[in-house]
Amino acid sequence: MKAFWREFVRNRSGVAGLAVLALMVALALLAPVLTDRVGLDVTRAQFPRWQPPAADYWLGTDHTGRSVLLQTWWGARVSLTVGVAATLLSVGVGSVVGLAAAHFGGWLSGLLMRVTDFFLALPALVLAICLSTVLPRGIGTIVLAIGATAWPATARLVRAQTLAVEARPYIERAKVLGGGHLHIIGRHVLPGVFPLVLVNTTLTVASAIIAESTLSFLGLGDPGLVSWGSMLHEATLHGAVSQGAWWFLLPPGLGIVLVVLAFTLCGRALETVLNPRLRVS
Amino acid sequence: MTAALVTAEEPPAPPQGRPGGGTLRYVAGKLGGAAVSLLSVVVLGFVLFRVVYPGDPVLAMTHNRPATAAQQDELRARLGLDRSVPHQFLDYVRGLLHGDMGTSYTFSRPVTDKILESLGPTLLLVGTATVLATILGLWLGIRGAWRRGSRFDRTSTGIALTLWSAPTFWLGMLLLIATGQLFPSGGIRYPDTPPDFLSQAVDVAHHLVLPCVTLIAVIYAQYLLVMRSSLLEEMNADYLTTARAKGLRDDLVRRRHAVPNALLPAMTLVFLQLGLVVSGAITVETVFSWPGLGLLTYEALEAPDLPLLQGLLVVFGGAVIVMNLLADLLYRVLDPRVRAS
Amino acid sequence: MVTVRISRWRLGLTLGALLVAVGLAAPAVTTAAPTAAAQGGTVLRVALTKQVDSVNPFLSITQAGTELGRLMYEFLTTYDAKDQHPVPALAEKWETSQDKLTWTYTIRSGVRWSDGQPLTAKDVAFTFNLMLTNDVARTANGNFVANFDSVSAPDDRTVVIRTKTPQATMLALDVPIVPEHVWSKVTDIAGYTNDTTPVVGNGPFVLTEYRANESIRFKANKDYWRGAPHYDELDFVIYKNADAATQALIKGEVDLINRLGPGQYDSLKNAANVTLNPAKGRRFNELLFNPGAATSTGVPIGDGNPALRDVKVRQALAKAFNLKDIVSKVAGGYAEPGGGLIPPVFVSYHWQPDASQARSFDPAAANRELDAAGYPRGAGGIRQGPDGKPLTLRLLGHNGTAFDEQTAPYIKQWLSDVGVDVTVQLVSDSQVNEITSGGKYDLAFSGWGANPDPDYILSLHTCSQRPNADGKGGTTDSFLCDPQYDALYTQQLAEFDQAKRAELVKQAQQRFYDLAVGVVLDYDNSLEAYRKDRFADFQVQPDPGGVIMAQNGYWGYYSARPVAGAASSGGGNAGPVIGIAAGAVVVLAVLAFLFARRRRATSAERE
Repeated sequence: MKAFWREFVRNRSGVAGLAVLALMVALALLAPVLTDRVGLDVTRAQFPRWQPPAADYWLGTDHTGRSVLLQTWWGARVSLTVGVAATLLSVGVGSVVGLAAAHFGGWLSGLLMRVTDFFLALPALVLAICLSTVLPRGIGTIVLAIGATAWPATARLVRAQTLAVEARPYIERAKVLGGGHLHIIGRHVLPGVFPLVLVNTTLTVASAIIAESTLSFLGLGDPGLVSWGSMLHEATLHGAVSQGAWWFLLPPGLGIVLVVLAFTLCGRALETVLNPRLRVS
Repeated sequence: MTAALVTAEEPPAPPQGRPGGGTLRYVAGKLGGAAVSLLSVVVLGFVLFRVVYPGDPVLAMTHNRPATAAQQDELRARLGLDRSVPHQFLDYVRGLLHGDMGTSYTFSRPVTDKILESLGPTLLLVGTATVLATILGLWLGIRGAWRRGSRFDRTSTGIALTLWSAPTFWLGMLLLIATGQLFPSGGIRYPDTPPDFLSQAVDVAHHLVLPCVTLIAVIYAQYLLVMRSSLLEEMNADYLTTARAKGLRDDLVRRRHAVPNALLPAMTLVFLQLGLVVSGAITVETVFSWPGLGLLTYEALEAPDLPLLQGLLVVFGGAVIVMNLLADLLYRVLDPRVRAS
Repeated sequence: MVTVRISRWRLGLTLGALLVAVGLAAPAVTTAAPTAAAQGGTVLRVALTKQVDSVNPFLSITQAGTELGRLMYEFLTTYDAKDQHPVPALAEKWETSQDKLTWTYTIRSGVRWSDGQPLTAKDVAFTFNLMLTNDVARTANGNFVANFDSVSAPDDRTVVIRTKTPQATMLALDVPIVPEHVWSKVTDIAGYTNDTTPVVGNGPFVLTEYRANESIRFKANKDYWRGAPHYDELDFVIYKNADAATQALIKGEVDLINRLGPGQYDSLKNAANVTLNPAKGRRFNELLFNPGAATSTGVPIGDGNPALRDVKVRQALAKAFNLKDIVSKVAGGYAEPGGGLIPPVFVSYHWQPDASQARSFDPAAANRELDAAGYPRGAGGIRQGPDGKPLTLRLLGHNGTAFDEQTAPYIKQWLSDVGVDVTVQLVSDSQVNEITSGGKYDLAFSGWGANPDPDYILSLHTCSQRPNADGKGGTTDSFLCDPQYDALYTQQLAEFDQAKRAELVKQAQQRFYDLAVGVVLDYDNSLEAYRKDRFADFQVQPDPGGVIMAQNGYWGYYSARPVAGAASSGGGNAGPVIGIAAGAVVVLAVLAFLFARRRRATSAERE
């Protein structure tokens, strides 16, 4: 573990990504403490509409007279929650499918990989759009739509890694010694697969956050919640480009870029550390 | 972008089976798989839009305009919605085999016609963007790998990753604001451009610039990263050391041996990541009013126009499945290792 | 490891194939031959931000499609630009029989189709008979002929229509008249797109080119019977959102736009050469209270909260809404607070409560009346019904509809101020329809665009519009069933004296207001803007205060005059040159760079 950390710290961009992430998560968690939620309520909006940044509202106001800074701050909570929840869902499903396909083999493996390949081939956004259209609108649907389209990549990865691990001689020995499926998976396979899953998770969060913003931008988000994507949706709907309201467009977009980039950098750093082939020789 | 950024994507699985198993058999297997996938897309689309979707489409279609109960029933019968679900499915499949994907609710036109109308602009946009992004990405990737760790490498990778992290539509909106009066605010051409080919081509090219640049900015990163890592791996390979040991100059080794070999995974990726490009096209076309399949998707989901969405799912899914099939077959043709195994 | 060599030509081949694909795609979008390029003529370019579903007048049901139909085909009668009363168009005069069942129209002589053929009464009779015999042809305007018994043309200038019962809309038949010599050859109406140019018409403009999703071009009909329009070509350019259209107006790519949001509209206030038109619109937004939904046989359906069956509760709740806030905050000031069902743009039928009848915004009174109605406040300040349960109401709205999304938090807040808990449900349009037609709502957003004839809007609240015994086929808006309202509705339908009918229409609206099954929240303005340096003299409807686009007629486009000295074509002509030049420079630079590198590489190789 210590060695891992020492290795990770040597990757400067990875550390930068981790620092940004820590800051973002801390800010998002502290939002209820540091700010007042009431400012998100349109009926209590107290500022003039479409105001450029000023002392009372550091990032200006939107079409209803709410502070853009406050929305961006609270939007981080929703965007991060959706990103993480969708990732957990997809990584969970993907890992189970991948493990099962590799470990049990036979017709089950064939079937599972057939299904995986099918979903892998479908254009993810199109499927997510279709799912969000037919299901009731809400944060649960968004999580489901993104999770349901992101799992096949994980499944493929986990399967490949599981096969590699299970080909090692000590697994054979464990089997001969009478280790059950649970024992083998729990004691030998999971530890071998975990590093890859971790890398994959970090990268999946990044794309899940972009997917959330895209779906919300297309008007398929949860109308009751402020997320970065829904802010950009409102901005287009109410004419931010015409108004020249750059202060309404930049913060949510930059928020997405920062978080996604941070996750990606972390993921790449992890990969470099965990995958010696990529390490500078 | 909704697919995870692949840094070490495994190439398509080498064909299973006996060594030297017939090419015919391999092709047949792939074709069969693709056919099953296609059928699955059709079933999935039907289940989503005819079974899962709550609500009576006829009520939605006749809302806000005078329509008697009798007129609603007439409409229901004309759309075949008065039949049982299995019957409707058979109707749909029968129609599909004749190229009929039903009638769009919002346009009162065959879905097939609407999709064909929008196909050209999307092919133009996606095709141009893919070609340019591939060239840009491969070139930068090769240079980056060659001078790994240099300032150029770090800068170009950093820029690519940052652009990749930005939502496509947001990038497009910023470009639109930043370029001011330089480019049109949307569409594919002005209505009264002279009809001769040159004026039309210039006009379309002028309209194409912003959407194309936006799409390239978001998708070139993956080509860059794959080319870079695959070349790095290739440069460590034994035969290159041998080549160098033989006294061949670094530059020559790189161009003659490493690059061609490393190109393979990258070119495969062009096909595999088509779904990603399609996703990008949906938001780019929405921002720039580019009259392609992406914009059609956006219009369809607003209503929502169920038959049109269903048709688009089948077309998008089908296109990607076919592309993957081509990638598999191409891979076999191009890589002797796969053929020999 | 085996050495793999992929020769360069293979890579080139692959790239080449992609380029060929692109090359094949390019002509598909570039070589659709425009038929009429009005070189050097004056062109009015209009931004369309709503979908055109079809230019087949029998199929088009969207507002944008219908509007294009009005330019191509003339009607029997049309609506006056000033006050929207029916005025002669193809029919120069008309008379009715004593029993109001037979209408005889005299068709104007000397009117010609755009292909030179004379227009006769036969064309009119053909159009209506096509709708009577072909159900597909009834898609768009079937409701106008549902009550028709027969249509005939005894001679070239006379059309006789018999109806089954007296019909008040006989001078408001929104049916485009099409040429028999073209449409009699059409076998499949549903599959006929009507965009093979030239499309034979008789309106002020003739369709010359239809590029789906891109643009729709018309040329002025020089032989139009009212006289040729003052310019040569009318182009509609399709934009997907109001923001893009606004940019296009500022850049001079288009001359006229509508359907602006308050944000876009305000942003144009400082734009050079732009005139704004904050027109009165024909749409209203309302909030429905479920008064106890039932079928037309009186069997209760749905699960509406029983508290709302009490008219006193509904009236009290209606006082909790601050309509002025909706106007100023949701509509950005571009609306009028609601009153009667018919919007103020229809001056003669609009009804607004006077001071003595009006329910003004008064939460204190609402609280008092709810106490008195038997709903005292309970735990947490939430009112309790007679059954001791807290008074919680569901608020149903359309997701993706800006008004519903923006107003819902206000409604929730206002009702919470009077002790009523609200849960907001925003769902898709078709789910809203499904839920409301089943009566499974407490509060629901609704909204309608009214026509010059008030019949349709009023009919939505009559007993007979409720669903049948199976709970199907309902077209009611509010589930209202009130004998007094129904009586007023029937009387106005049979009243052919305009002044008397208007009085009855107003009384019906007042009854609706008093019963409070729905609260009209606001009447939206229709925000438009045009380039004053390019065109002028747009005739608005109604005049003053009305719209240029989306009229019940063609006056706005027909009356426009080009401004003397205006460039014949807007901006965008210098643009391509700059853009292409910039693009070319970039490409050349890249090529030069690559070439230089290649040279260096080869020379190194040759050493």
